[in-house]
Amino acid sequence: MSKHFHEIRDPIHGFVRLDSDERKVLDSRPFQRLRHIHQLGMTYLLYPAATHKRFEHSLGVMELAGRVFDIVTNPARITDAIRRELPELSQPDKLGYWRRVLRMAALCHDMGHLPFSHAAEEELLPKDWNHERLTHQIILLKEMEQIWNWITPPLRAVDIVKLALGPREMEGEPFSPWEAVLSEIIVGDSFGVDRMDYLLRDSHHIGVAYGRFDHFRLIDTLRILLTDSGPALGVEEGGLHSAEALLLARYYMYTQVYFHPIRRIYDIFLRDFLVAWLPNRQFATDLETHLSLTDNQVLVAIQEASQDPGKPGHEAARRIVSHEHFKVLYARHPDDVKVNPEAGAAVAAGAQEKFGTDNVRRDAYKQKRSTTLFPILLRDGRIVDSGKLSEVLVHLPVVDIDFIYIRPDLLQAATDWLRENRDSIIKAEQEE
Amino acid sequence: MDRLQRAAILTELMDQLHRHGSWCGETHVQKAVYFLQEILGVPTAFEYILYKYGPYSFDLAEDLTALRADYLIEFDHRSPGYGPALVPTRWSSELRSRYPKTLDKYRQAIQSVAQALGSKDVKELEKLATALYVTRQLGDPSDTESRARRLCELKPHVRLEDARAAVEEFDRIAAEAKAADGGQIHE
Repeated sequence: MSKHFHEIRDPIHGFVRLDSDERKVLDSRPFQRLRHIHQLGMTYLLYPAATHKRFEHSLGVMELAGRVFDIVTNPARITDAIRRELPELSQPDKLGYWRRVLRMAALCHDMGHLPFSHAAEEELLPKDWNHERLTHQIILLKEMEQIWNWITPPLRAVDIVKLALGPREMEGEPFSPWEAVLSEIIVGDSFGVDRMDYLLRDSHHIGVAYGRFDHFRLIDTLRILLTDSGPALGVEEGGLHSAEALLLARYYMYTQVYFHPIRRIYDIFLRDFLVAWLPNRQFATDLETHLSLTDNQVLVAIQEASQDPGKPGHEAARRIVSHEHFKVLYARHPDDVKVNPEAGAAVAAGAQEKFGTDNVRRDAYKQKRSTTLFPILLRDGRIVDSGKLSEVLVHLPVVDIDFIYIRPDLLQAATDWLRENRDSIIKAEQEE
Repeated sequence: MDRLQRAAILTELMDQLHRHGSWCGETHVQKAVYFLQEILGVPTAFEYILYKYGPYSFDLAEDLTALRADYLIEFDHRSPGYGPALVPTRWSSELRSRYPKTLDKYRQAIQSVAQALGSKDVKELEKLATALYVTRQLGDPSDTESRARRLCELKPHVRLEDARAAVEEFDRIAAEAKAADGGQIHE
């Protein structure tokens, strides 16, 4: 079958190139839906230019996945030890197959996102569901299966799912070392191209410099290296500073953009609105309903509800549309956490008791996995972990946020209350 | 069990592993918690999957990151192996002093596991933890040979005689840990 190549202009990567099989995925209904899912939810209320969508991000992830694959499977960059662990590296047919699977997985990795991306996910899906599980189901859809089967040789849908989601989201499904490394190219904690693309893309659209790093240099120095826990993505010694820059970019983007307190309070109001607006107070998990729902319908509903006190979710919609968000009463402080790791929960409970549950909101998040541990290939051929070489990464804090918000007109009274009672509220209790 | 009770158990386990000669990297904690949970019934409730080098819990990995965020453990990068040593802080001692009942209940189990595994290196822990995994998978009782063969299927780089030795050592450790814990399975 002849392959026609297509080029799509992209502000981050110049051009994204795809072949006719990948073009079929691009033209599919689940992928086209991503044109209408904001990459950063309602962040545009705070950073006006943050209106980019999951569509272009997914293309960018595919572009980077292909580049990383070509670098790390280059025979000149593979040691004998790795060749023994990963025999696929010596089999050209298999390499060709897996390169296609990897790029398809990268293209499809976000297809299950709900309207407004992560903003509305928690608490709005039934137990044991998340956007990854929806992505899994979509890749197995008959209309997608037809695309996988059309390709020569056909791609196994389950291979695409595994690389798109990684072992964390596929518990119970065994991953070979080769599959684990390939999934790391997309979703890896340190060098996943999903993260590389969104940091670069989000900082570009938002207009902040925090997310930039030298991804050309970083990708050029990536290697598959053997560690105590098997083959893993790492860097040559010469790429360490680019790797540090990526992880610093992640830290600053999380603390300055993704977890900006005002951005997060809009997520909370969006969730309040959706709980009131959605049938059964949750998103449906049947794929027809999922694929027909985008940010567009939700935005129209928010606009309508904001103007009509009789409509479900009116109060939350009104606050979003009129920008009357709650104000920060309390933010996590290290000294408080040392006294009581649940200091934020204690402040929230006290404030709700004093000022009313409806007038107080809490938003807490802890970074889930350590991102700063990866192998480095030294110039003398030894492999060490990043903590042995990088003073920067050793001191990079774990992202941990905890904000308590209060209705704006109660802020002064609540601030006075917290100042007077802070020690007794935060004090840790002995177990009963 | 709430997250702070779990934090008290995990940091106590790390202290005990250090006392019994372990440099206490994440792999040591992962495998020790697996034994604690699956043999001695300590209800930490982590989901384990068979990953690159034996049973592994992503939930536990997240908990360890949370312990760092809460200043309850810190990394020591002067470890002798790959990755940092996990070291409980003085804030974790204060936390544990607030959970005497929880720790009294599980201290013997924690000590038994730390004593049995503290001197093991990462490769040994992989084989022992996978022996536990196949024992649970095949059901109890199952003979040494079938478990050793299953272990080799899951971990092709492990030789059959090493797998047999690992299964036998696992049986001995499990029996001793249960005996030291009073033979009782906690609920």
